[in-house]
Amino acid sequence: MSSGSARLDDVAVGALQDVLGTEHAALWCYSLALAFLPPAQVAAARTDAAAHRELRAQIEVTLTQLGQRPVSAQPAYATPQPVSDAASAAGLLVTAETDAAAAWRSVLERSTDRALRRAGLQALTDTAARCARWRAVVGTQPAVPVFPGRP
Amino acid sequence: MNDATAAGRRPGSRAVAQAGLRPTLDRRRVLQLMLALPAAATVVAGCSGATTDRHDRPDPLLALADAARADAALAAAVIAADPTVAARIDPLRAARTEHAAALDAEIVRVGGVPSTATPSTAPAVGTTGPSAPAGATGTAAPAPAATVARMREAVAASQRGAAGLVPDLPAERVGLVASVAACCATYAAVLA
Repeated sequence: MSSGSARLDDVAVGALQDVLGTEHAALWCYSLALAFLPPAQVAAARTDAAAHRELRAQIEVTLTQLGQRPVSAQPAYATPQPVSDAASAAGLLVTAETDAAAAWRSVLERSTDRALRRAGLQALTDTAARCARWRAVVGTQPAVPVFPGRP
Repeated sequence: MNDATAAGRRPGSRAVAQAGLRPTLDRRRVLQLMLALPAAATVVAGCSGATTDRHDRPDPLLALADAARADAALAAAVIAADPTVAARIDPLRAARTEHAAALDAEIVRVGGVPSTATPSTAPAVGTTGPSAPAGATGTAAPAPAATVARMREAVAASQRGAAGLVPDLPAERVGLVASVAACCATYAAVLA
């Protein structure tokens, strides 16, 4: 399963594939949400989507370097709630960031590689900040998740 | 409240990804490996000493729990000094209180004894100078008073303390500590 310069065990590779799948889903959520968000929130959403795009690219490069084939995005995803207006669009982004946080925390729990742990913590921290912003838009209290990524 | 479950996926995750993400890895193989994780983690972490000498040193989570209690106490003092910031600071006070409880529970889980020192309204860790007792009035002017700026510094220091442990913690503890670090980081950014 692992080959070449692979330093991560299969568990960590699986965690990376899972978080890649979650990043694919998050990007899909942002593209959908952008169609419904008011102009005042579009810039923030584009910035957040760009951050996810960067993360996705980094994970794909990492997996490829490990000799793994990165998982592909699904053509579409089922949203927990129908998305039809600004509020439901922001709510979808809360879900996307919450899922991303869980996947990144899982990367930490499924790897012992110190570099990957550091990268995962940074990603978890960034996703918590994005999640807090969209939770504030939705009006969820508290805006900042107390345990970002906890299942 | 169980932070020891590694790799758990949230229900919401399944909802979003209901179309089904299909990693190239065989699911059963991943499961088998996850069951074997503690042994595998020990081998991989052997060179970094991540899981060694845990019995010889104080639990590193004790300092994080104390910092959480100190932050909560400082937050209460900040609100007492300036009630107009309560809406911004009280969620932080509540979060740090929850962090302390979760960290204490993890310390107990591995057979340790959580800190019994109940923080006074004057925070002991990561802060300097006397702080006004909660409820005191007329103490808003002095420099070392409980301010939002000082709160931000304290929670940023707490973030660094937690984040510093993340590379080396055993798998069953790293998630909790990482979540605490991420939460503190977000508050530090929000209060900036």
